Amino acid sequence: MRALVIDDSRTMRRIVAGALEDLGFSTVQAGDGQQALDLLESGEEVDLACIDWNMPVMDGLTFVTRVRANPAWRNITLMMVTTESEHGQIVRALAAGAHEYLIKPFTTDAIRDKLDLLGLVPAEEPV
Amino acid sequence: MSLTQDTFAFVADVVRRRSAIQLEAGKEYLVESRLLPLAREGGHAGVDAYVREVRSARRESDLADIVEALTTNETSWFRDNAPFSALRTHIVPGLRAERTVLDGLKVWSAACSTGQEPYSIAMTLTDVLGPGARFSITATDLSEQVLAQARSGRYSQLEVNRGLPAPMMVRWFQRAGHDWQIADELRRSITFAKHNLLDLPPAGPFDVVFLRNVLIYFDLETKRSILGRVHRALRPGGYLVLGAAETTIGVDGDWERVPVERGSVYRPVHAGAVPSPRPAPGTLTGATPAVPTAAPRVPVSGAPTSTWPVQPRPATTLPTAPRRPAGPAFEQGVTR
Amino acid sequence: MTAAAVEQDQVFAIAEEVFAAMVDGEPGHLRPWEGDVPAPAEPLAAWVDVHGELAGRAAVATDVATAHALTRALLGMGADEPVGPEDLVDAFGEVANVVGGNVKALLPSQGTLGLPQVRSDLPAAPAGSLTHELRLDWRGRPLVVVVSLFQ
Repeated sequence: MRALVIDDSRTMRRIVAGALEDLGFSTVQAGDGQQALDLLESGEEVDLACIDWNMPVMDGLTFVTRVRANPAWRNITLMMVTTESEHGQIVRALAAGAHEYLIKPFTTDAIRDKLDLLGLVPAEEPV
Repeated sequence: MSLTQDTFAFVADVVRRRSAIQLEAGKEYLVESRLLPLAREGGHAGVDAYVREVRSARRESDLADIVEALTTNETSWFRDNAPFSALRTHIVPGLRAERTVLDGLKVWSAACSTGQEPYSIAMTLTDVLGPGARFSITATDLSEQVLAQARSGRYSQLEVNRGLPAPMMVRWFQRAGHDWQIADELRRSITFAKHNLLDLPPAGPFDVVFLRNVLIYFDLETKRSILGRVHRALRPGGYLVLGAAETTIGVDGDWERVPVERGSVYRPVHAGAVPSPRPAPGTLTGATPAVPTAAPRVPVSGAPTSTWPVQPRPATTLPTAPRRPAGPAFEQGVTR
Repeated sequence: MTAAAVEQDQVFAIAEEVFAAMVDGEPGHLRPWEGDVPAPAEPLAAWVDVHGELAGRAAVATDVATAHALTRALLGMGADEPVGPEDLVDAFGEVANVVGGNVKALLPSQGTLGLPQVRSDLPAAPAGSLTHELRLDWRGRPLVVVVSLFQ
């Protein structure tokens, strides 16, 4: 399975991608919502996108809205990974079409739990 | 400020006996930071002084506090997912098939820890049973400390990040400062109480018992006696839900295993009665029930050697964020 | 204001969570610093500003060597792996970003976060600000978390 990691912080992209790779994903990265859309439009196929909220050029909420508006991308699971943690923000993200929401700081276990809920963890767990 | 080896060795021994968790060399730092709040609460200068007092006073509750501070149950919401899915797809439909008006459903969460399990059950049942349906959950655990948090319904951000579906989170939780507070509606449906599994069960009879990931810490004889008490606390036609890797097979013959999705649930079999399969709508059943066989009694050797009464605590992973101390964490001032 | 929107204990809880979850992988390595914090030879500070009805700033200040150690821990790098200046600034800034985001969520009105800034010195908060300064010990190294609410 393949995941798209979208965050304007290179550190955070590496942390999220690292955790996903430990869980058996291959990953590709983008620094903002526009870069991520460009990747998808160029034919990159992913099962999961982990999306930061606050990014320059195009933020995560806008990216989610764009993806959900495109039937070609309806099978991509969208998970916010963000410091935005107000109740209202989570409601907004889910209303925009995000499937899941992970608040920073998070542990690898927390990512695994969320992916489990989404049915995205490979059957065999890494040792 | 560091622990003596003696203190560390004592703590490691207590934790190992009661939780199967090994605290090896290098974890002194962790032990100290976890026990410091307990030491402060007791008015001690530091962890060494606190542990000295614990050893001389020989109070069971102190040991339980220490083990609790250093271990944690796997405290994720909807743990393993399958049992909660089973509630939806198999258990509630099965109960409905017996009595069309499913009111006053009674559930026992028998090792409820900090409450994630009973609250997850409550969230699921509210969804499945629909508005207006009443159910009650009895949630028990041996430790007052975990029960206190469970009753409060207040969780840290790291705790709510663990396996709680985001839609459930926004529906059932509000922010309380840096923490998250579960809705009163759910809290009202749950009664939390201290209970030792070695004692008689709380007042039933129950439609469903969750007894997850706690039996594994008891010897075979004790497992059997616990299962016997659970059996008597369940309504005929009720359901027992165990942990993902657990089974009654080979332990106690008075149960019928029913495969559900990727796992199983168990139903009490009563002597002389062959349980008739009750097909739940749209789910897999109709399998020939297992004929109960009497398991041979296995003599238990090697009674626990600890001088204090030992209640094995289920614990698996490394600790999560420590409970915050009651008062200000430290005295550094606020400047204006 | 009669009560602080952000309390000292809450800031400590946030710092503990950030370190436990992302830096150390387990709790117990962050604790209050005992005594005075030595003045760093090579100071480094990272902060984010919070904009909105209630504005403020969340900052992390330490010395360059600790910031390097923090970066290595965050990125799971070996003790010998070189940390480039861009990695350092990004990682240290991200710590401030995560702390700041969680502080922002404590405020009564919805705010927005600025981008992380990393400099050798922390700018002074405006006069009359309410400031919490947490002097912390991370694995024996001094690290200060400063949260200011501008009046």
